[in-house]
Amino acid sequence: MEDLSDEKLMVAVSARQQQAFRILMGRHMQRAVRVAQRVVRDSAEADDIGQDAFLRVWSHAASFDPNVARFTTWLYRIVLNLAFDRARRRPVVPIDEASDVRATDPEPVEHLIADEERRALEQAMANLSERQRGAIALFHMEGLSGEESAKAMNLSAKAFESLLARARATLREHVQKIQNTRRCA
Amino acid sequence: MTLDQFRQLAEIWGGDIDRWPAATQSAARALATDDEARRILKEQLRLDRLFSIAPDVSDHRAGRIGFAVLQRIAKVDRDPPWFRRLFRPASLFPAASLACSAMVGLWLAGALPYQQQQEALSVVSMVFDSSTVALWGVQ
Repeated sequence: MEDLSDEKLMVAVSARQQQAFRILMGRHMQRAVRVAQRVVRDSAEADDIGQDAFLRVWSHAASFDPNVARFTTWLYRIVLNLAFDRARRRPVVPIDEASDVRATDPEPVEHLIADEERRALEQAMANLSERQRGAIALFHMEGLSGEESAKAMNLSAKAFESLLARARATLREHVQKIQNTRRCA
Repeated sequence: MTLDQFRQLAEIWGGDIDRWPAATQSAARALATDDEARRILKEQLRLDRLFSIAPDVSDHRAGRIGFAVLQRIAKVDRDPPWFRRLFRPASLFPAASLACSAMVGLWLAGALPYQQQQEALSVVSMVFDSSTVALWGVQ
C-alpha cells in the first residue's frame, strides 16, 4: 500500500481503510501544517488546522474526484480555506514563527545572516493579507506552478497572477525597509 | 519582448524563467543574455530564495498531529451523533417490537370472529370499567 499513488489511496480511504489514511497523513501532514502556519502565523493554530484538514479528508473522502484535481491540490484547498476562516475570525496574530523556522545547519556566520533574513521575512509577512501569504506559500514555499497554485486557491490564472504580484511587491518593499533599518541601527 | 516587460514578468514570477508562463519563456530566454536582464534575474532569485523559507514542521510534530486526528476519528466512531445512533440495531429494537405488536393486534382483529352477544359485551365492559376492575384486584 505504501507504493500507491495519493489518488489510489483516497479510493481506499473512502472505503474507510485507516491504513491508507495513515499513509496519506504521513506523506502530507508536514506540508499541510507548513502552509497553514505560513498563512495564520501561529504554530498552535496551524496544528489545529492540520488536524481539521485531515478530519475533512477522512469524512469527505467520497467527494474527492481525481479527474478534477490532484490530491495535493484538493488538500491545499482544504487547508487554505480553514486557514482563511481562522484568520478572519481572529483580529490579533502573534508572531512566533521566527523561532520556529527550518534549520539547515549552515556555517555560524551564514547562520546569523540566514537567521536575520528569516526574521525580516516573518516581519514582512505580517504586512500581507492572508490570501497573499497563501499565494507566497504555494508558489514559493511549496514550489507549485502558477496554474496549480491558482487551482488550489480557487482563482483564475489572471487573478492569481495579480495576487502574487502584489504579494511579492509588498514583501520586497518591507524586507528592504527592515534590512535598511537594521543596517542603520 | 522589451526589457520593461521582462522586468515586470520577473517581478511577478521570480528569477527562474522556467516558472514563468509558457508563452513568455522563449522570448525571455532570448533576452536573458543581456547584462541588465541577468542583473534583474539575479536580484529576483535572491528574493525567491528568501520567500521560499518555510516554517519548520518536524516529523515528531507531524506525527503528534496525525495521532490526534486518529484519536478524534476513534471518538466520533465511538460516540456517533444522535441521528446515526438512531439507526443502530440496538436502537431499532423497541421500534421493531412496537411494529410487531401492532401487526399481531391487527391480525387478531381480523382473524377473531365478531361477537355481539350480551355476555361478551359485559366482559369487555367489565375489563374497561375501572370502578369494577383495578390493578390490585376486582372491587
